[in-house]
Amino acid sequence: MENLSTGRKINTLQFGEFEVGEEHIFFFESGILGFEDLREFVLVSEEETVPFKWLISLDMPDIGFPCLSPWHIDLTYDPGKEFDLENEVLLIIVTLDDGNGQMTANLKAPVVLDIKYQRGKQIILTSDRYSPNFVITKHRN
Amino acid sequence: MLVLSRKIGEVITVGSQVKITVLNYDRGVVRLGIDAPKSIPVHRKEVYDKIIEMNQQAARTEFDAFKKAISLNKLYFPENKDSTKEIPTLFFSRNKSKN
Repeated sequence: MENLSTGRKINTLQFGEFEVGEEHIFFFESGILGFEDLREFVLVSEEETVPFKWLISLDMPDIGFPCLSPWHIDLTYDPGKEFDLENEVLLIIVTLDDGNGQMTANLKAPVVLDIKYQRGKQIILTSDRYSPNFVITKHRN
Repeated sequence: MLVLSRKIGEVITVGSQVKITVLNYDRGVVRLGIDAPKSIPVHRKEVYDKIIEMNQQAARTEFDAFKKAISLNKLYFPENKDSTKEIPTLFFSRNKSKN
């Protein structure tokens, strides 16, 4: 078999089937909390949900987390000095409550992506200032 | 479960790297001091559980429901606050691929 294509085909819940090249894959050594077995993720941006992004698992492509920059929600967001914000980018996972249509952001546990080494992890901040379910929507269904 | 009795100021060690000190006890509340290396995250269990719960709820978000919630709430985010632009990202446009 020729191995000309570096792309890997995945069939995702949110975006159907597409190919992912190595340059887009982030390796999560410890997975995401509650999903410790998931190691590889890709970030997807879809026109209709900009500026949200989707962190999609390659191991289980029906798993995909909507994410957002924390500074979109809180201009003063300060995760502490343990981060190297030159090389690391923070994302926070957003949850949509199917019952009431409310959206919350997990400011307490940002996902940290190391751009240079294409690695990622979810960190729980020690600060009590941030909530794991900060409400970002004004209206309910 | 291992059960140990400790007095205020006494310490429990977990492995060679974690030390837990009983600092004080007042009206049903125990204060613990925990020394652990950075590689071992220490958190209140309810915080940890809540984060897992939020992750599980977010993990299979339906695209259309999410899109609807964004537009219903007229969520608007200023472009210049997006710190995530430099992340290698795959870009999609569902509308265009349908046409």
